[in-house]
Amino acid sequence: MNAAKNWKLFKENLGSQNPVFVQVLGICSTLAVTNVVKNTVVMCLGLIFVTALSNLLVSLLRGVIPARVRMMAEVLIIACLVIIVDIYLKAFNPDISRQLGPYVGLIITNCIVMGHAEAVALTQPPATAFVDGLAAGIGYSYVLLAIACVRELLGTGGIWGFNVLGGAWVNWAIMVMAPGGFFVLAVFIWIVKGCWLKPARKEKA
Amino acid sequence: MSSRRQESLRTVGFMTALSLVSITSVSALHLATVQRVNRNADLYLQRAVMEVSGVALPADAAAVSQWFAASVEAEPAAAPTRFRIRDAATRETVALAFKCRGRGLWGTITAVVGMAPDGRTFRELRILEQNETPGLGARIGEPWFMRQTAGKRGPLKLVPEGTRSAQPNEIDAVTGATISSAAVRDMLNRLPEEAPFKEATP
Repeated sequence: MNAAKNWKLFKENLGSQNPVFVQVLGICSTLAVTNVVKNTVVMCLGLIFVTALSNLLVSLLRGVIPARVRMMAEVLIIACLVIIVDIYLKAFNPDISRQLGPYVGLIITNCIVMGHAEAVALTQPPATAFVDGLAAGIGYSYVLLAIACVRELLGTGGIWGFNVLGGAWVNWAIMVMAPGGFFVLAVFIWIVKGCWLKPARKEKA
Repeated sequence: MSSRRQESLRTVGFMTALSLVSITSVSALHLATVQRVNRNADLYLQRAVMEVSGVALPADAAAVSQWFAASVEAEPAAAPTRFRIRDAATRETVALAFKCRGRGLWGTITAVVGMAPDGRTFRELRILEQNETPGLGARIGEPWFMRQTAGKRGPLKLVPEGTRSAQPNEIDAVTGATISSAAVRDMLNRLPEEAPFKEATP
């Protein structure tokens, strides 16, 4: 029963309740870090780590967190986890840390993390909360990776630094700049909503 | 009244305990990795010095450190800010490099600036640390911006981005980032006065 519920939650986070293209949360980082696939992967791993663990910890503490300071407690837990990711990157992956710059620290303010801590972790048992956090992170990640692949491919003619499209390809410089993120995300949301979410909703009705 | 007081005490106690746990775990991780982080920072500085002095950058980190130890005189010893790069064979000075700071929009900008042995002509620069606005001021870290100082002589002035000025005293500013660009310009303009290696030894 519980496993079935968790699985449903997991699927919802990837599809019909996806944090990026349905709830439209965490857009700041979606636009900012998706110009190169490598950075995106690191950012996504960081976010999965933070959402999963912050949900787990908040859920474990949900009985003892005083209601009035629950947001302070959540932010403290999230900030602590993000700093851990930041320190880890600085120590073991300095080049990526430098390229991501302020965006790792900005995971703290990513609405997905806070939203799931508030909406799920405060009311659900630890296992459910952990699954939800993990799924939200993965749901965020695959959308970001899809966007990053398009942007890097069109913007630099390659993926992960390897040239794919060949020497004759003229780079679309706009793709690696911030506006490119807006275009690709908008097209992505348009396609997903038009081809998939709307028909599904009509079927239900 | 007393139950309300109890609740407040519990709230304060909870936050204090949670803060202590967070601070302890983050501090422990920091202490465990601080040497590694410092080593990374040193290596980054060495790489920057190597780049601005016009030496081709080898792929692996050990080679950078080796080159640095063999060809660079750095002073002061504890936290070096001035670097004299000598040719490996002839021991002649081939370039100077300075680590300098400027006040950006959000925080201190730290950079390594290369100079010809005459102590007046700039080479490229490398931004080490900056907290400028991503997408605007942070673009002072883009390659075209850091390369354009090569061959220029101070006092520099800013011209609009895209001018790609050939004048020896003009550099392109970053559009939408006047303060960040001016911080770099001022940093460079102060350098010849502050630079202690003026008596360019052959």
